[in-house]
Amino acid sequence: MLIIEDLHVTVGGKKILNGLTLEVRAGEVHAIMGPNGSGKSTLVHVLAGRPGYEVTRGRVTFDGRDLLALAPEERAREGVFLGFQYPVEIPGVNNVYLLKAAVNAARKHRGLPEVDAFEFLDLVRSKMKLMQMDESFLSRGVNEGFSGGEKKRNEILQMLVLEPRLALLDETDSGLDIDALKIVANGVNSLRSPERAFVLVTHYQRLLDYVVPDRVHVLVRGRIARSGDRTLALELEKRGYEWVAGEAA
Amino acid sequence: MTAPLTARIAEEFRAAASRLPAGVVPPQRREELLAVLTREGLPTSRDENWKYANLRALERMRFAPVAPRTEPSLLAADLPAPIQGYARYTFVDGVFAPALSCPLESSSGVTLSVASRSREASERLAAASALPAPADARFAALNEAFALDVARIRARTGAQCPACMELLFVSTGDAESGAAYPRLELDVEPDARLGLIERHVSLGAESSFSAPAVDIVLGRNAAVDHYRVQEMGPKALWIDTLTAGIAHGAAYRLYMVSLGAASARSTIQVRLTGELAEVGLHAVCVADRHQVHDTFALVEHAAPRAKTEQTFRGIAGGRARAAFNGKVIVREGAHGTDSRQSLRGLLAGPEAEIDVRPQLEIYTDDVRCSHGATAGKLDDDMLFYLLSRGLERDTAQRLLKWAFLEDVVAKIAVPELRRQIERSLAGQMNETTALKELL
Repeated sequence: MLIIEDLHVTVGGKKILNGLTLEVRAGEVHAIMGPNGSGKSTLVHVLAGRPGYEVTRGRVTFDGRDLLALAPEERAREGVFLGFQYPVEIPGVNNVYLLKAAVNAARKHRGLPEVDAFEFLDLVRSKMKLMQMDESFLSRGVNEGFSGGEKKRNEILQMLVLEPRLALLDETDSGLDIDALKIVANGVNSLRSPERAFVLVTHYQRLLDYVVPDRVHVLVRGRIARSGDRTLALELEKRGYEWVAGEAA
Repeated sequence: MTAPLTARIAEEFRAAASRLPAGVVPPQRREELLAVLTREGLPTSRDENWKYANLRALERMRFAPVAPRTEPSLLAADLPAPIQGYARYTFVDGVFAPALSCPLESSSGVTLSVASRSREASERLAAASALPAPADARFAALNEAFALDVARIRARTGAQCPACMELLFVSTGDAESGAAYPRLELDVEPDARLGLIERHVSLGAESSFSAPAVDIVLGRNAAVDHYRVQEMGPKALWIDTLTAGIAHGAAYRLYMVSLGAASARSTIQVRLTGELAEVGLHAVCVADRHQVHDTFALVEHAAPRAKTEQTFRGIAGGRARAAFNGKVIVREGAHGTDSRQSLRGLLAGPEAEIDVRPQLEIYTDDVRCSHGATAGKLDDDMLFYLLSRGLERDTAQRLLKWAFLEDVVAKIAVPELRRQIERSLAGQMNETTALKELL
């Protein structure tokens, strides 16, 4: 589904990714781990199309299409979703409006009519229940005045409503207490399916206790230094990143 | 530059004097005002507080008022849809048009009279209309000198009329046939409460000149919600003066929406004369193409523990300019003053210009005054967030513009009016539908 080959990326003239290669197949969950500054967030932002990231070499295909050639909104409509580490607050833009506009943008792209307003609200309400979110969130501004944990839950809510084919979650677990972590993990697990893939960026293996990955990759200085199954995450937890970083050097 | 202009004003005044009704403004008063104008001249762009308004356009305008039409050719259908629950008074080129009006029920405790003023009301207005310093009443003087008609509203002590009346000022004239001087005097007696809508529209797209003047006096513990919408035609020059005096415990809330005109300038001057008086000035403007929207808002705190809240949200696209100069003066003895200003401009075009300027002059201790002013482009992080959810770039940008205006638009508590304003905003932002309607 997603094939990344020899990806080099600079941000403001600084090299962040240095020849990253990765393949994610439909149905898989990949965890990207690594020390601060290793390029984890850069990777998912480049995949989502954030401006300011310059791809100097390499290619990325999504279902055989050149992903990097698409505008961010086109990537989203093709089914790529980025769950932000720090979701921005947008006062004045209503949560439910954004959700509806996003769903309709994707439907239009697929040649479908706009979603029925009542069915849509039912859908959103059921997903909110799963995320244990209060209905008052709907009428509030996007992330406006939300706590850190509420923002993360809102990201997962959006993911559940949009049903992307490739979800990139950037440190969605950071700053969550254990209850919130379980709710978020529940949300992710509820969406796992053979047609869908996940790339989870995380610092700690804690999330991976609840969302069990198929593959774990350790990023060091902008490339994958080591890959393995979920036991790699456990080993990292014991031995620390220096273990892999030392090997990579 | 102003000398020939004032000479021309005097000349046009002489020629028009015989048709300026004495019941509206007594001839002697008109003469006095003309003398003031001749002495002081009209402002120019060299005046500190008039830098942004397009005053040069005045040179092409006639000052004598448009001759009232003998047969009204307008139909109610030509006008903006009325707001349910509000009586409507329509003025065409500054002259009352009863056929296009739908008067208030007499039981409301509020009266509107056209042109006649009781002596009692005159005295109240005169006593209360001490202008804030340094007030600028030159265009108000022009208005009063030339006014053909006036809407005088009096809310009697204790009258409760929260959804009261709409004053619709329609300009049909063009610059060659003369100017329009919409005029409104509002006298709100103690404990009265009033909701007022004031709209300025043009029919037709010819160049025109209007200089509205609004004079407001709020008695003790009175409350007024005043919604003002400026939707003049694309070639209109609109120079407006609003003056208000607010007594003890009274609350005046002004919501201004400025969309139309080639050049629109509002001079708003509020004096808080009594303890615990409150004023809220909430303004939104969307300017595009070559439009200039300029507001100067002066609030003078002349009594203790009074409160000011000022919010401005302006968007300038194309080569337009949106300016808001908000000045607050806290006089000696006005301790406990609470003043907040939030002025924000959004640049939506590479050649657009935003000028927001909060100014504070404080002559007493123990005050709480805060101000914030920003001018900038759409937030890149917000934009990327919306794009990453699949929204079209254009939709995302429009959504963020709405969100930017929302701080003021959401305060418009008359749902029907707000919907109409949202539709107008949509038009001004080149949209076919108001995004808010999709919610």
